[in-house]
Amino acid sequence: MIEVKYFGAVAEKTKCEFEKLSFSEELSLQKLLQDLNEKYEFESLTFSVAVNQKIVSKISDYTLQTSDIVALLPPFAGG
Amino acid sequence: MKDSTRYNRQIILPEIGEEGQYELSKAKVLVIGAGGLGAAILPYLAAAGVGEIGIMDDDAIEISNLHRQVIYKTSAVGKSKVDQAKLMISELNPEIKVIAFSEKLSGKNALSLFEKYDIIVDATDNISIKYLINDACLLVNKPMVYGSVFRFQGQVSVFNYQNGPTYRCLYPDENKNALNCEDAGVIGVTVGMIGMLQANEVLKIILGIGNVLSGKILVYDILNSEQQKYDFEKNANLEITKEDFERQYNSEGNQIHEVQFDAILNEIENDEILFLDVRNRDESPKINLKNQIQIPLMHLENEIEKLHKNQRIYIFCQSGIRSKIATELLQKHQFKKVKSISGGALAMKNLLKEKISI
Repeated sequence: MIEVKYFGAVAEKTKCEFEKLSFSEELSLQKLLQDLNEKYEFESLTFSVAVNQKIVSKISDYTLQTSDIVALLPPFAGG
Repeated sequence: MKDSTRYNRQIILPEIGEEGQYELSKAKVLVIGAGGLGAAILPYLAAAGVGEIGIMDDDAIEISNLHRQVIYKTSAVGKSKVDQAKLMISELNPEIKVIAFSEKLSGKNALSLFEKYDIIVDATDNISIKYLINDACLLVNKPMVYGSVFRFQGQVSVFNYQNGPTYRCLYPDENKNALNCEDAGVIGVTVGMIGMLQANEVLKIILGIGNVLSGKILVYDILNSEQQKYDFEKNANLEITKEDFERQYNSEGNQIHEVQFDAILNEIENDEILFLDVRNRDESPKINLKNQIQIPLMHLENEIEKLHKNQRIYIFCQSGIRSKIATELLQKHQFKKVKSISGGALAMKNLLKEKISI
């Protein structure tokens, strides 16, 4: 089980601020992002991705571990 | 120091003392943007005795600013933000120097202006300007204290601090389409809190105390009172040169798909031109031009057959962000003559007063 947190305009798309996902086979970060993109159609939204509070490359082949926390952080523009 | 009684309660902090107060009095800080973030940052920097504060903004105060830009008075609606901010600061603390720049930051003025300051504070509401500030800070080697807000959430970080990571290390892909406060909505306390956190970073940098938010982005959510810090690293491949900067910000043609409304004002009666409002139907001010239709951005792709590919179309939204997305969308569908109106309905209404029903 991993937790995925959503912020800003990404959370508007997902309509939730976090969700817990379970997976049976090995899941890479890249594959998780692909799956989420298919599910929520992020399209032109840009965001950075953090695993366990650290921003990482979106094309990382990092294999997600149980209890990892992934966060999708879009840039904000208001001021 | 002219009057240390004024600063006594902070001077007695062991972390500050007379020395720290002297550092504050010598510091020069440029705040870009005198909106919601600026309205929180400016009075606290001024009151703390930061020796010189530059304020840059070319906007006038609007009544819809006052709920969050709390340094402005109702009687000042219509007046220049930087002039009013300067007035407020000089009444709050006449011992410091304030310079008002009533102009937009651009590739032309950024570098020479930033050279004159120690710290650059990004209190803007525009992604493109944030990249400009970042890139200029990188070239003149100044720290950038970043803050921005989306609805009830905010972000704070310090970029290019002692050669640390930059905005591009966090967000390499420039996406000009993130919504600002005019488009997304905001309440005053969100920008106030984020601005306050930025002011805090400025003071920490000047005083050399605490841990500066370099290589970290703080994300604050005011609805559930949660804050998270995320670490990010420097990506040396993203450094830019003076030549890159000139190409990106000072070459012709990088704003070709955008048009100023005053430049096309004489075309509003032209039957060959279609004005396309991509806002939702409940948004005001209403704009009623002769040849105008409304298709909210979210329906545009489905209702694209309502438009003709060879027609000249000027697209607008509230502030010019969604209209850029719409312009790109239509261009993807082989529309050749579409342009986005810079500043959107908010800019148009000033030029169109007699045509508007509010």
